[in-house]
Order: sequence, then structure tokens, then C-alpha cells
Amino acid sequence: MKVSEKLHEAKSGDNSENLSAAGKLAYYPGCSLKGTSFEYEVSLLRILEALNIEVKEIPDWNCCGASAAHSINHNLAVALPARNLAIAENGGYESVLAPCAACSNRLKSADYELKTDEILKKKITDSIEMPYNSEMSINNMLEFLIGVVGKDKIKTLVKKPLSGLKVASYYGCLLVRPPKIMQFDDPENPVTMDELVAITGAEPVDYSFKTECCGAINSLSKPDVVMALTGNVLYDIKKHGADLVVVACPLCHSNLDVRQREIERKYDEKLGLPVLFITELLGLSFGIDPKDLAIDGHMVAADRVLKKIEELSK
Amino acid sequence: MKTVINEQNRRNFASQVESMLHDKLSKCYQCGKCSAGCPVNFEMDYTPNQIIKMTELGMEDKVLHSKTIWLCVSCNTCSTRCPKGFEVTGIMDVLREIAEKKGITSKVEKEVQMFHEVFLDNVKSNGRIFELELVGKYKLKTRHLFRDMFLAPKMLEKGKLKMHGEKIANLNQIAKIFKDFE
Repeated sequence: MKVSEKLHEAKSGDNSENLSAAGKLAYYPGCSLKGTSFEYEVSLLRILEALNIEVKEIPDWNCCGASAAHSINHNLAVALPARNLAIAENGGYESVLAPCAACSNRLKSADYELKTDEILKKKITDSIEMPYNSEMSINNMLEFLIGVVGKDKIKTLVKKPLSGLKVASYYGCLLVRPPKIMQFDDPENPVTMDELVAITGAEPVDYSFKTECCGAINSLSKPDVVMALTGNVLYDIKKHGADLVVVACPLCHSNLDVRQREIERKYDEKLGLPVLFITELLGLSFGIDPKDLAIDGHMVAADRVLKKIEELSK
Repeated sequence: MKTVINEQNRRNFASQVESMLHDKLSKCYQCGKCSAGCPVNFEMDYTPNQIIKMTELGMEDKVLHSKTIWLCVSCNTCSTRCPKGFEVTGIMDVLREIAEKKGITSKVEKEVQMFHEVFLDNVKSNGRIFELELVGKYKLKTRHLFRDMFLAPKMLEKGKLKMHGEKIANLNQIAKIFKDFE
């Protein structure tokens, strides 16, 4: 059985209202959503409001350490996420939503290591001075939407189907890899974001670079490498006729959106591909005003796509 | 090429890596699957499977000074595809950590290492990342003051660059974590 099928079988129920009403849904925004990727948080909170789901920010959360911590200091890479997880678990939460792919990856990795390594667990819980028992479910954005909220509930909110729009879902690395720890979708050919795209009424575009790396954290330190990798992804998407790209990761968004003009100049070929967060695309299909979804916050303007949506809905 | 310098040194290095990695170097049978799928292989001086073999052979100096360990972006494609389930991505973390602790700086790829260091400093002083401060300090350290600056005006206009960072309330807890593990 494919991983994605297993996921659907295991988590198809709509449990969000119970958890939300009981105040059991913790929210870990992470640093990017408070800074360069503020559009992700704005659109996320807006669609959760429409879905009538309430999440609560983990009090006094700290940075998960992202790629820097695991790259040079393994203990920090576990301890920094562990503090957030312990605050949430001891606060009585049952589920954590981490919309940033890197954050969800680091939270899940720390949780996995604390679950499987008793010696490490002792060392870490001594340092953070809080107990932790790995009892919560930690969800990335797609896992939360499909597994906790449920496709049926999302479908009921689609007021303005985006039929005629061609959308490429870009997953990148951290949502699906390493599969042993992420336990989410198929690591080579994931489909969950495409399924959400299909719910909005848009047409999911198939292409080759769904899970190829964009260059991630090396954006500032190795910009040429990042532009080569991100360029591969964007030109492949363009070749397959997509109107726009959707992502569920702030770092992917930064590389695909912020660096796009530079990539066009470097490879001397126009792209003009707006990059939206999946939450923004869902919001548009719910009939929410693009301004309320912060779509004007992107570097590559989405005006042409928004106009196309208006024309298609007439 | 001089490979094995001393059998005892070889064993020490290989077992240090294995104990930090919680995996066995001998699992790798050099099929090269990791290197074939690596998105940054074109920039590396040694491919990932070469790094594994060199570590097993105790070529500590070459491995810790390689460009490869800093170019790896931890995308996990290698570990996901490894037919032996070897922690290929994990070994890069382990080697970087050993290099960092020994104060070894890659001559060619020192900027990647600097970025990680500046990033963790930022977490240590604020509990969260303040992007503007992070980028500013990174630029000062690498002296690439003007690279990427052309992006700044539009990012400011779009509201992507926040002028003020957030500090967490219990910064003492973060200080303790750093004190325990740094």
C-alpha cells in the first residue's frame, strides 16, 4: 500500500471541531511566519476562521533551530524544539500545527528522537526542566488540512471554484523526507497538496520536480547553487503549463518567489509564475478577498492570475 | 594518495562517527545511489558515497576539510533512497559537528558555516530569529555587504522585512539550553 493511501485510511475523519472546541489544538508559527512569510500566517488564520477552527499559539515559543542547529549541534537541534513541545504537552494540548515545513520537520524529528533514545531524552528534559512524553500528534499544514480538518469539511466551503486554473504543487524536501520520521504521503510522488488543489476546482499539474530541493537554507550563503536548483523547478513547472505554483513551506516560497526575477535574468528566460501558499489558494476558492489573504505581499505579482480567476468565474 | 595513516587513528575516527550517528559505516556497499540523486553533487569535491568510504578509512583531515559537508543541504534524498537504509544525511550532520567542535573552517565554503553560526547566535540572543539582524550580522561577517541588497527595497515595500524583532519572555531558559549544549 502506498504511504498516501495509508495516511488517508488512518486519518480521514473530521476531528477538528472536537479538538478545536476543547482548546486542544496548539499552533507553532515559527519565525518565518512572523517575518518574511507573513502572508502564510495571515492566510492560514483567515481560512481557519472560515472553517471555524480555533488554534492557540504555544505560549512563549522559541525558534526550532531550523537547519543551523542540526547542521552543527545535534543536542541543540533536539533541545530547542523540545522546549516548545514540552510547553504544549504540559499545557494539555493534543495536537500541534506547524505550518512551516522546516519547523514541522524539526519538531517531528526531535519528538522521534526523544521517543526512541532514553539517554538523550533524560539529557534534554533535564536541560529544559520540563517532562515530555511524546503524546501529541504533530502536523504539517497538509497533514492538518487533510488529516485533522478533513477533505469533506473543506469541500463544503468552496464557494468560488477555480475551474480552468492550472496549478503545480511544489512539495520540496522537508514535508515528506525522511519518510521514516515524517510518516506523511509518498516521498517520491506526494499527492496530498494536489488533492487540495483539486478540491478548489483548479486542475493539478503533473511535473517532474515536485520533491527536488530548492536549495533551502543556502539561499544566502550559496545563491548561485540555489538559483540553479530553484530554476530547475520553476522552468519545469512552466514547461508543463501551470498558471501558478502552490507551496506549504516558507523557505521554498522565499526561493521560488523572492529569487524568481534574478533567475529569469540569469537564465535569460521569462517565468512570471506567481507562488502562492496552499492556504491562499484555498482562501480564494472560499471566496475570500485576495487582500485579506495577503496575496499582494508576494514579490511576483499574482494580478494576472487573480484576473483570470475573475474571468473564469463569470 | 596516502590514505590510512595509522590503524588506531582510523578506528578512533570511524567509531566516533558511528557512535554519534547511531549507524554502521560498513552498511554502505558503495552503490552510489546517494550521489546520483544528490541535488548539489555538481558542486561537491567528494560525492556522498566517497565521504562515507573515506570516513571508514579514517581520512579525517580530508573529510573534515571537504566542501561536501558544507554544501549538503540536508534534503534527505540520499537517506530516503539508500537501499541499505544508511543515514547518509545524518553523517553530514555528524561530520559538520565534529569539524565545528575542532574549530575547522572550510576554506572554500566557510560562508555556509558562518551562516549557521550567526543563525544560532541570533536564537541565543532573542529566542527567535530576527531576520534583519541575522542578515545584517551575516553580511558583516562575510563582508558581502552588497550581495542581495537589490532585493531589500521591494521586500520592505511588501512588508516582508520587519524592523523590530521579537524576544521571548523566558530568555533565561534558552540561555540554559545553550549553556548545557554549546
